[in-house]
Amino acid sequence: MIHVKNLFKQYGHGAGAVKALKGVDLKVEQGEFVAIMGRSGSGKSTLLRILGLLDMPTGGEVHIDGVNTLKMGEKEKARFRLEKLGYVFQEQSLIAELNILENVYLPAVADLDRSDYKRRAREILEVVGLKERVSHYPSEISGGEQQRVAIARALINQPKTLFADEPTASLDEDSAKVVLELFCKLNKELGQTIVMVTHEPEDKQYVDRVIWMKDGRIDNS
Amino acid sequence: MKTILGTLKLALFLAFKSMFKGNKWALGLIIVVMAFSFVNLIFTSAVISGVMTTMDSQMINTVFSNVIVSPRQDKYYIDRADEIEARIGRVEGVGETCAHLNSRGFIEYGWKEKALPWDRVKSGSWNILGIDPAQEARVTTIGHNMIDGQYLDENDTSSIVLGVEVAGGKSAQTSDFLTLGGIKVGEKVRVSYPNGIQREYTVKGIFRAREMMQADHLAFVTHREMVSVLGRPEFANRASEILVKADRNGIEENLASELAAAGIDLEIRGWKEYGGAYRSVISTFEIIGAIIGGTGLVVAAIVMFIVIYINVLSKKRQIGILRAIGIPANAVLGSYLIQALTYAVMGITLGWLLVRVVLQPYFIFNPIDFPFGFLSLNIESARIVGSAIGLTSAAVLAGLIPSWAVMRESIIKTLWGV
Repeated sequence: MIHVKNLFKQYGHGAGAVKALKGVDLKVEQGEFVAIMGRSGSGKSTLLRILGLLDMPTGGEVHIDGVNTLKMGEKEKARFRLEKLGYVFQEQSLIAELNILENVYLPAVADLDRSDYKRRAREILEVVGLKERVSHYPSEISGGEQQRVAIARALINQPKTLFADEPTASLDEDSAKVVLELFCKLNKELGQTIVMVTHEPEDKQYVDRVIWMKDGRIDNS
Repeated sequence: MKTILGTLKLALFLAFKSMFKGNKWALGLIIVVMAFSFVNLIFTSAVISGVMTTMDSQMINTVFSNVIVSPRQDKYYIDRADEIEARIGRVEGVGETCAHLNSRGFIEYGWKEKALPWDRVKSGSWNILGIDPAQEARVTTIGHNMIDGQYLDENDTSSIVLGVEVAGGKSAQTSDFLTLGGIKVGEKVRVSYPNGIQREYTVKGIFRAREMMQADHLAFVTHREMVSVLGRPEFANRASEILVKADRNGIEENLASELAAAGIDLEIRGWKEYGGAYRSVISTFEIIGAIIGGTGLVVAAIVMFIVIYINVLSKKRQIGILRAIGIPANAVLGSYLIQALTYAVMGITLGWLLVRVVLQPYFIFNPIDFPFGFLSLNIESARIVGSAIGLTSAAVLAGLIPSWAVMRESIIKTLWGV
């Protein structure tokens, strides 16, 4: 479960300061598929980056599975990101020198207690429909396929929560549909908690709940 | 422990995938730049070291040998030279010895054409060494450096061998008016010794030791002839100096001490004490070599630093992605450290091969013709090790500093690649 309390984020200081988040309170239950929507500049991506431990807030608290993530040191955060969270970026985020299979199992290589990461990666690639592409390199597959690989990579360590920052923004309509249906499948079949930032109104049909943001706050109107 | 091993495994995985599945041209360029930086470093110092080594060996091989035993300061000659030589020969580290019986001599060429005794002909005053040719050949290389004619035989009494700077001519570097003006083998010279004796000799040979300062300015007659010139039978067992060839170079100081300890109560000096002018040249070369070597190392290190630095910075966004998906910082840093070390090892190995397989054989077969001798590359192991360590250190810093700097930035900034 994700519990956000009175979250603030300010960029810069003094007169030029920009307040991106102005006291956000939020709860996401385990197994929920939530979309965060709002206009550009509403603070939705800032919120997601703080939830994904990629950025620090100016104030407030973030609890994920009962852990106050803002009190963690850098090493703990990295470990938490690796083991407990998955993150799918808006733009291409695969490692060009690794093939599809290697990209997927990369986050699991360091875990010597689980040597079955190649098998798991193949299984996940089958789930995302890319079983036949394991030996291809990122430059050899489409943008939609790259996003599916990124999703597979985010799932390799079986995280409880998956964050996706406008994962379909750079995709064509068909590819976007495939990605969103994949999120639905993961949520329904595996009970995966998913928090997705999107600005596409039609994405609402895929999610359990939409959290609207406006001017750095949750818009409950 | 498991965490460390896991991090190391991940670092190795990232490093080798990045290098060998990444841009092959970039990999090749980095290795070639490193290789040539290493070659440059080794080559320059090897040439300078070669100059010094050639100068040193020329001094040893043509003029002084390793150790020179001279008369005590209150004597002109070493008495009982045979016995002294025998005692020297029994000291450990001594290879061969040869005794010289020397005199100054005024040498004239074409004196028969003088109308009056005080008319000047091609002439000059030089040191004349009385030698045992066979013994001499075991200690110095003069006999192997004949450019015309032949070396002396033991029984020669009417022959003289001249250094090229005495004989003059095209091969000499000294101006003609300071030499015999290009005398040929078979022609005659007249030598006036300080004791008033005058002898006519046929020039039997001309040598060129390529040791500019001293050897080529000498003339040789046989020991027997010099004894005859000096006029008293006791000179048969006297020597002006005894050259001592060590069984290896570099032990001169020890050998001199050993000889003194063996009761050789004479002036005993290593060759370096005699080569004053040369030593100052060599000292200058040593300073130049150190400056060039140090500068070369810094330049090579900077070149490698820049190349690797740019390579790391070009992957800034990739580092951001790795951090964002939770890859431990040590694994990322480790991967760049491993990459830098691999570049260094491959570059240095390639450079070393270029030096050993291409440059060194080339200069062995095509030595540089310096005035003081033929110069080959002298590649010192210590220099190779020092250069390799220097370049590897630079590569490690070049790999670590930018990746560490990127790791200190916020993940968001890194992801944006700014």
